Amino acid sequence: MRFMGNAAAILRKDILLELRGRESLSLMLFLSLLLLVIFNIALDLDKDSVSSLASGILWVVFAFSGILGMGRTSMAERDEEAYLSIVFSPASPESFYIGKALSNFLFLLIMECFTMLSFVILFDFEKIIGLLPQLLVPLVLGTIGFSLVGTLFSFLTTASKYGEVLLPFLYLPVVVPVILGGVTSMGMVLNGNAGGTWKWIQMLAVFDVLYLAVSLLLFRYLMED
Amino acid sequence: MNLIEIRGLKKQYHAKTALNGIDIDIGERDSITVFGPNGAGKTTLLKIISGIMSPTEGNAFYNNKKYSESEMKKEVFYLGHKTSLYNALTVGENMDFICRLFSINHRGESVKNILKEHGLWERRRDPVNELSQGMKRRLALAKGFMTDPKVFILDEPFTGLDLRWRSSILSKIKDIRSQGKTVILSTHLVEEGFELATRVAFLHKGRFLFIKKKEEVKIEEIYGLFDSMGETGK
Repeated sequence: MRFMGNAAAILRKDILLELRGRESLSLMLFLSLLLLVIFNIALDLDKDSVSSLASGILWVVFAFSGILGMGRTSMAERDEEAYLSIVFSPASPESFYIGKALSNFLFLLIMECFTMLSFVILFDFEKIIGLLPQLLVPLVLGTIGFSLVGTLFSFLTTASKYGEVLLPFLYLPVVVPVILGGVTSMGMVLNGNAGGTWKWIQMLAVFDVLYLAVSLLLFRYLMED
Repeated sequence: MNLIEIRGLKKQYHAKTALNGIDIDIGERDSITVFGPNGAGKTTLLKIISGIMSPTEGNAFYNNKKYSESEMKKEVFYLGHKTSLYNALTVGENMDFICRLFSINHRGESVKNILKEHGLWERRRDPVNELSQGMKRRLALAKGFMTDPKVFILDEPFTGLDLRWRSSILSKIKDIRSQGKTVILSTHLVEEGFELATRVAFLHKGRFLFIKKKEEVKIEEIYGLFDSMGETGK
């Protein structure tokens, strides 16, 4: 009970920080829109090509905008060493991690919804809206994996002055299974093969559990020094 | 009984030795002031005592338990060079967050009283980044009062403050002492540090030149040491 209470307090604080500072989500939304505009201009796709490329384009945007946002939420903890107020409190490192992962998950999900909506408008691809219920499962599972790994790595790298440069190099190779699972399963849904996504969804779920277990273990060590 | 025991502490940053062979026992209600010139290793020592930095060698115990096995981080308040505040949040929101972590009623009278005592009640709706450095330090200390820890570890609490804020922070630390808390403080301001101490230590080049009871040291002796190292201690 206390564990989830502390995690909720950290989530609430991150939402307040975002409302006050607008440092993470607004940057993510701006970058995602920028990337979509670049893809739109550079690829000049017809309706059939959009269907086959949509999933890949979306996940590239999710990945890069997500990295930017998660780096910023960790920087907010490092500024003025604010995270020490959590370290010197009854909150366990695990509840700290879960609180941060929840806030990253929430911001990522908002960014992803915004990106998909922008994609519909920019690429004139309304099909996504009709398929949203089927897209939701791989999207949510992929976002869970993204936020679990991103929370750990962004906190690790912001300790270094080159943190924001280091983050993509460490983070992206580790989340390759999530990107692969997300791109493939969402691609299948968009191309009328929703029945074939089951094994990819299973894989995403397994990796989420794995990331959670390893990250919880490592975050404690990270906090101890 | 000793609350904190540090044994054979050594801290190395690559080729540079920041601390070498530090032993110190800190009891309940102790108030230790660690003096030393810039670069003596005071901040490193306090970070290790507070458990946020690991030593290269040596052991640290809290209530006879290794730090990692103790409840130390729940019972210590650490204020370093930075204030550990969320700058974008308001004064009230920072206090509210701490109350939630410590399961204190955030709408209770205690928050109001503490903010009033620290002269921050009128500023409760202002973002922290609009406060002066002195007010930020007071807010950081107010957080400590709110959570009622056993030990206060304060690293250079007077740094960057003008005389008015310095005396204000000094009086707050006196309040902490009068409540019977353990205080470990580092400073290069001799007068303030001496006034607050029950024991006095002088750190130089990573080693203690001495740790003595306040009665066994004359303030001139500390000024003399600072003078010999090219600093004033004022």
